[in-house]
Amino acid sequence: MPISWLLLTLFGLAALGFWLGQTRALKSANGDRKALHSLPSYYGGTVVIWTILPSLTLLIAWLFIQSPVIEGFVVRSLQSETADGDHASSLMMADVRRMAAGLEIISGAKDLEQNIINYSDEGLKNFQDQLSANGIALGSDLTPEILTAAQTYLKLSDTSSFWMNLVVCVVSILGLAFGVFRSNKDFRARNVVERGIMMTLICAASIAILTTAGILLSLIFNTIEFFQLYRPIDFFFGFEWAPSFSGRGGNSLLGVIPLLWGTFYVSLIALLVAVPIGLFSAIYLSEYASKRVRAFAKPLLEVLAGIPTIVYGLFALLTVGPMLMRAFGDETIGLMSGGNAVITAGLVMGIMLIPFVSSLSDDIINAVPQALREGSYGLGATQSETIRQVILPAALPGIVGAILLAASRAIGETMIVVLGAGAAARLSLNPFDAMTTVTAKIVSQLTGDSDFSSPEVLVAFALGTTLFLLTLALNVLALYIVRRYREHYE
Amino acid sequence: MTNNGMPQDLPIPARSLKSTNAHSRRRLRAEKCFRALGVSAMVTALLFLLLLVMSIVSNGLPAFKRTIMSVDFVLSQEQFEEAEAALLKTGVYSDFFTQSLVETIQALDIPIEVDQGTINRLLGKVGSILREHYRSNTDQLGQAVTFEIPMASRVDRYYKGTLSREGISSNNRFIRASDLDLADTLREAGLIRQTFNWQFLTGVDSSVDNPGGAGIGASVLGSFFMMLVVLVLSLPIGVAASIYLEEFAAKNWLTDFIEVNISNLAAVPSIVFGILGLAVFIQFMHLPQSAPLVGGLVLTLMTLPTIIISTRASLKAVPPSIRDAALAVGASKMQAVFHHVLPLAMPGILTGTIIGLAQALGETAPLLLIGMVGFVARYPDTILAGFEGPNSAIPAQIFNWASRSDAIFAEKAWGGIIILLLFLMSMNIVAVLLRRRFERRW
Amino acid sequence: MYDASHSDSDVVSREYKISARGVDVFYGDNHAIKEVTADFDDKTVTAFIGPSGCGKSTFLRCINRMNDTIASARVMGEILVDGEDIYDPQVDPVQLRARVGMVFQKPNPFPKSIFDNVAYGPKIHGMARGKAELQDVVESALRRGAIWDEVKDRLDEPGTGLSGGQQQRLCIARAVATEPEILLMDEPCSALDPIATAQIEELIDELRQNYSVVIVTHSMQQAARVSQKTAFFHLGNLVEYDDTGQIFTNPKDPRTESYITGRIG
Repeated sequence: MPISWLLLTLFGLAALGFWLGQTRALKSANGDRKALHSLPSYYGGTVVIWTILPSLTLLIAWLFIQSPVIEGFVVRSLQSETADGDHASSLMMADVRRMAAGLEIISGAKDLEQNIINYSDEGLKNFQDQLSANGIALGSDLTPEILTAAQTYLKLSDTSSFWMNLVVCVVSILGLAFGVFRSNKDFRARNVVERGIMMTLICAASIAILTTAGILLSLIFNTIEFFQLYRPIDFFFGFEWAPSFSGRGGNSLLGVIPLLWGTFYVSLIALLVAVPIGLFSAIYLSEYASKRVRAFAKPLLEVLAGIPTIVYGLFALLTVGPMLMRAFGDETIGLMSGGNAVITAGLVMGIMLIPFVSSLSDDIINAVPQALREGSYGLGATQSETIRQVILPAALPGIVGAILLAASRAIGETMIVVLGAGAAARLSLNPFDAMTTVTAKIVSQLTGDSDFSSPEVLVAFALGTTLFLLTLALNVLALYIVRRYREHYE
Repeated sequence: MTNNGMPQDLPIPARSLKSTNAHSRRRLRAEKCFRALGVSAMVTALLFLLLLVMSIVSNGLPAFKRTIMSVDFVLSQEQFEEAEAALLKTGVYSDFFTQSLVETIQALDIPIEVDQGTINRLLGKVGSILREHYRSNTDQLGQAVTFEIPMASRVDRYYKGTLSREGISSNNRFIRASDLDLADTLREAGLIRQTFNWQFLTGVDSSVDNPGGAGIGASVLGSFFMMLVVLVLSLPIGVAASIYLEEFAAKNWLTDFIEVNISNLAAVPSIVFGILGLAVFIQFMHLPQSAPLVGGLVLTLMTLPTIIISTRASLKAVPPSIRDAALAVGASKMQAVFHHVLPLAMPGILTGTIIGLAQALGETAPLLLIGMVGFVARYPDTILAGFEGPNSAIPAQIFNWASRSDAIFAEKAWGGIIILLLFLMSMNIVAVLLRRRFERRW
Repeated sequence: MYDASHSDSDVVSREYKISARGVDVFYGDNHAIKEVTADFDDKTVTAFIGPSGCGKSTFLRCINRMNDTIASARVMGEILVDGEDIYDPQVDPVQLRARVGMVFQKPNPFPKSIFDNVAYGPKIHGMARGKAELQDVVESALRRGAIWDEVKDRLDEPGTGLSGGQQQRLCIARAVATEPEILLMDEPCSALDPIATAQIEELIDELRQNYSVVIVTHSMQQAARVSQKTAFFHLGNLVEYDDTGQIFTNPKDPRTESYITGRIG
């Protein structure tokens, strides 16, 4: 029974429960609605909660735990047979999963023991061909062990889902009975329903915590695994980034310093572009521009902010890169050897950040009390003197916060650097060189069919952790500064 | 700071208000400079925008056009049987066609030598088009049928102006300058023309041997399924979370912790959400790779903070007097919120949600990590496969095209961006209209 | 609608510090000041009184063109300072404001040190050469603002850390530091407690020695205490303008009388 049917059953039971609860409560009050504590629908609602909530929680928990448990079981049986390392078994597990999917697709193949019980090489080969005809490619040649494991896997999955269906249905019916049993006119149904809703609301709110926890756990576990394969000191202080692609566990050099340098350099150029332009635009818009100019220019700037980063990435790759090549390339002064360079990515990222900086600064400049402006004008200061000597110093903490937020954005930006900065990790001071960044390398190490046991793949999680901590620190600092600033003027 | 005012400025003030002196003139100049700085910053920003828009439009519009040749062609019953019996079926069809076309062109009295090689260079892959047509329309065998065959991608680019005659070397095996002469003549004869490229809107991705035929249709569908997941999950969860935080949450450490989490999640780089999706949904829960379902889940987690923040703002905008009024007639707090506050805040919530969805629609980086950049050569067969089966999404498809070397794919990528921006624009317009229509001033 | 006692003085005379000739002010469509004509003496404290929204602050802000900073405000008519029309296109409002200082309703020290607050005006107007001279200017301004003794030991501390009354006196010191000839005060005591108010009023009386002071006030007692001349505004009209004693003891216009006796306002 697929899960969709199970869900339908649950909802059917819930509808039944709703009707039963309502009817029973009304009967206990002899059909007199006024004698009920709550509206009839609340009695129905109570039963629905009892029917759905425990069983659904169980179902979700079961689904969540099911596959790791089954896999653990299969892996143990595989290991006992092959006595191989942890590493190989994770690869094999991937094949087992694909196999299992294939077995399900090829009708009748579930009773494989009857069909190719001899496990002869030829039989296996035929079977593999049959699988690939159905679009399932195995990582290595089909072995009897994997076939058995896949069958065990399937059998366990079947058993598990059978019990799951049974247990979930039983729990649901028990809940229904309990709810109906409690429905009578003195029962405070509304309070129960409201408590149920409240629980749902709290659960929804805690998804934010779960997400953060998920991020932390997925980063930490994989990072620890990485550091078991690769020395942390070589990662954090390595000056060379040269992952080997052939073979695994080879002599890759995975030093983070060149990537951090690239990230830092691109972000620096981006900020050098975005901060002056954004800040001065904000000053112009909030202090000088007439209403009409403001009404025209502000939405246009916001358009820049709403454009997805892939567009900026393409802009860097296909427009700005070639443009810079024409200006600085081999044909003119020969500074640039390819369109992909730190300057390309930095420039485009700067353009992306202009509206970000300007709208944040705009808010902050507008938060400076009007009284300070009047005080300055009243003394005979010109507008620019007022801005430079009164408004900007007063707004400085807020602006610093905005710049930090922009820096965090720049560090975490991916598409522009993937498409515009280049792929070579390099420690160089020349902005016309191609360099690469932390985010770009996370993408390149994790894209494609990855098995999570080689240092070349796991390093992406260590990079992710670095990136996460870096941006988190910047964000927390920036939010703290901005909040302090706002409180100051409220 | 010491002031370097000139001695003759003193004593100040000058007697007449209209008189100027060196000091006041210098201040006026400084004022003008500063203002000019502001204007130029503003203008620079807008120029960047203009450059961006121009390069999107000028590079992307050609993707919506394609060059075709319309040719009358007759396939006899015998030829059909011969072709179907051959090993390389489409090749035989293609041979029949080119032979007939060579004859047609020679009959036009064109002083350029035409052979099958020329035709093969000029046209895209014709064999499969013919085979498909005749296999499903066997009754048309022996009759004249007008086919509209797309030209080879280089000819296409020649007519779009992105390939110049000078750029073709004499030993180029894909195209020769003389081929283009023929094409020009045929164009004058009306056989070659440009039409709207429906294939680009409805088609699926294609590989290097048929670059002109690549379309964005399948990935639009992928994005659609993904957005469906995001909408169905993030709207209820976001609203529920906001109601709890805004209306019910007691001021305690848990609430504070949730709030800190939300504001931090809003600023976490999107790629980190991709790592989360990869590790939790694929590595741990074994959900299928490259599936819009997983993409939707990741984007949901990414969009939730945005939606929660805007929903809370809308709830906050409903004045407390409404709640008091509901409570005063004996409604419970829950009833007051669900019957009165929530409906009043709904337009704002929807606006915020649409803007959140628009953000999610354009997001690329997390999709790369969960494998949504694969080659997607067909539409999903069922609705379930639409959620579970491997697919791409508009931005991921654009990225995929951008990283290929053939220049025709760059054009496709720009065209994809126009499609993406059109979707985003219409979503934002809906949001603005919603806000205009239902905006309420208290 | 004008019925004050100076209607016959059409000839611009140098002895008046400030002269208004048919001044109208609009905020968008709102006619805030209607045809005000009046002359104000030098070295005199003139008080503007009237109910809220009568236009007295608006008129005050016309005298140093502070209304220029509000986009929707339009000023018509002439205002002469020392016989020169300050709304003449050739006049730089910045220079005007250096000569017509202003003190605001709420004390608004800059978020800088006490010293920098006072030094700001002299610096931008280039009134002091070198640190020592600037220190002299600041000290004398703080003395004239009657706050020197309280702050002389903590000139480096932020001006925002002072008490409300001290902040307002700091703002007065800041205004006099640019050596203005006229000092406009927009309800300078409304945010202060009675003791601080008394200190400021005392200070205003001293300032009269050197400056023409125009003060907008809500408090009729304050007008009576500090001013020599009083102007009564009502609904944008200058209803009556005369010696303070005259206004408070023997008002000519019935509207002035009802305001003073508390029937409108």
